[in-house]
Amino acid sequence: MSAIVKVSNLTKTYGDTTAVQDVSFELEENKIYGLLGRNGAGKTTIMHMLTAQQFASSGDIQVFGAAPYENESVLRRICFIKESQKYPATFNVKDVLEVSAMLHPNWDAAYASELTAAFGLPLKRRMQKLSRGMLSAVGVVVGLASRAPLTIFDEPYLGLDAVARSMFYDRLLADYAEHPRTVILSTHLIDEVSKLLEHVLLIDQGRLLLNEDVERLSGMAYSVVGAAARIESFAAGKQVLSRESMGAIASATILGEAGVQERREAAERGLEFTPVSLQQLIVHLTGGKNGEKEAVTR
Amino acid sequence: MNTTVNGRMKAVTSTILKDKWSWFFLPWVIAGSSFVVNLITSIFVKDEIKTGGVSSLYIYMLVAGIISVSNTLPFLLGFNVRRSDYFWGIGRAIGLVGVCCAAGLTLLSFIEIDVVPGWGTGLYFFHLPYYSDGPAPVQFIINFLLIVFLFYTGFLIACIGKRFGKTGMYAFFLAWIALGTVGSYVMTAQGYWMDLWNWLSDQSMLEIAGGTAPVTLICMALSYMLLRRTSV
Repeated sequence: MSAIVKVSNLTKTYGDTTAVQDVSFELEENKIYGLLGRNGAGKTTIMHMLTAQQFASSGDIQVFGAAPYENESVLRRICFIKESQKYPATFNVKDVLEVSAMLHPNWDAAYASELTAAFGLPLKRRMQKLSRGMLSAVGVVVGLASRAPLTIFDEPYLGLDAVARSMFYDRLLADYAEHPRTVILSTHLIDEVSKLLEHVLLIDQGRLLLNEDVERLSGMAYSVVGAAARIESFAAGKQVLSRESMGAIASATILGEAGVQERREAAERGLEFTPVSLQQLIVHLTGGKNGEKEAVTR
Repeated sequence: MNTTVNGRMKAVTSTILKDKWSWFFLPWVIAGSSFVVNLITSIFVKDEIKTGGVSSLYIYMLVAGIISVSNTLPFLLGFNVRRSDYFWGIGRAIGLVGVCCAAGLTLLSFIEIDVVPGWGTGLYFFHLPYYSDGPAPVQFIINFLLIVFLFYTGFLIACIGKRFGKTGMYAFFLAWIALGTVGSYVMTAQGYWMDLWNWLSDQSMLEIAGGTAPVTLICMALSYMLLRRTSV
């Protein structure tokens, strides 16, 4: 696997505000990445800089082995679907698809028509008259049918109902299987996409908090449930991400691998193990105290 | 699909020109409304009417230059078009629009003077003294140069707005007002106004229009430099 994106010490400041701070990561070819983080964490700014739509204050970006700024051979291989995409006032859905076909070398017109019909998009309707959900659906169609080697979806599901969102995830997986490419999904609906993701980049307050394969992530924390007093004794000396209690029953989410020793200790106390979902882990990591975040990044 | 460098520039041109209404019809609808009003007036007036209503088409080009940036730049940059391809792609579009408009104006001027003189009512709208001096090719060049000059003036203003925001626009216009005030004071104090007027009267329309060409090129160069540093 070769890295198609290399970001080193990327920083973006606006006046006194630092939107992105000293972020470094690499993205490999043909993998689905989740760029996760809360609203305003700096995800969109990073994607804008990857596509040279915004300028970095410092740091280096290499996409397909070169700087993306004014680089046609790089930019033509990227499709960036962003939530804030603007369209010319007179453009309708058909116009957008026609322009997309001109700008994306791998564009599959038949697939685009099929998706347009599946999402129930009215071709003749002006973009400005579309609902939020329909606008998102146009983005999904362009993003999928472009088959760009680097496809970036920034919050692609806004306004889409559960059925349409599920259709997007299914179509993405199916098309990815047939036409592998690198996909970045920026989202805060983590549970919905967790099954799609192979690797997670977690951004919090402009910093890269986590850069990990999903498989490894699932072993990073676990929850134990049982009698409150026993939970306390079990958790003593461990890194506890969160505690919840309901009457005599309590649960604790603990950072670290549930090894043989931990399982034995839990069994002795009659505690049950439950897996921690990606979303739970991310919530703990981004909502927790700084000490916990540092513990994870170490 | 051909998406070489040239191909993407072409894609920009076709994206811009997809709005056929705004580029190929609206300028004529605007100039045409002025023409119709003047034509009706001329039916009831015995004297010849020579009006500058055609200037509405030129003013439209200035406005089109301003609007086109906010209308198409965020869209095309969002679709990963290079800034340089955007610049040259829109240049090709305005070149084509300019040729069509200039040809249309030249043709109408010819009709107005040679085919149906004064439209039968004594109205001179497209063929005016001084403005229409010279043979058809000269008129065509004058029309074309003025159209691209006004478009790129608007384009530069919009690029300043895009690059530096509202503050930049205020600073730009304040600087022009300051320059205008000082310039006009110096002209009055030194008695240069008459000299300027005499000089202008000595120039032909072709010379005046030709004089806009370097200004157009400066506007283009400045817009290009601003676009290269514009983010969306």
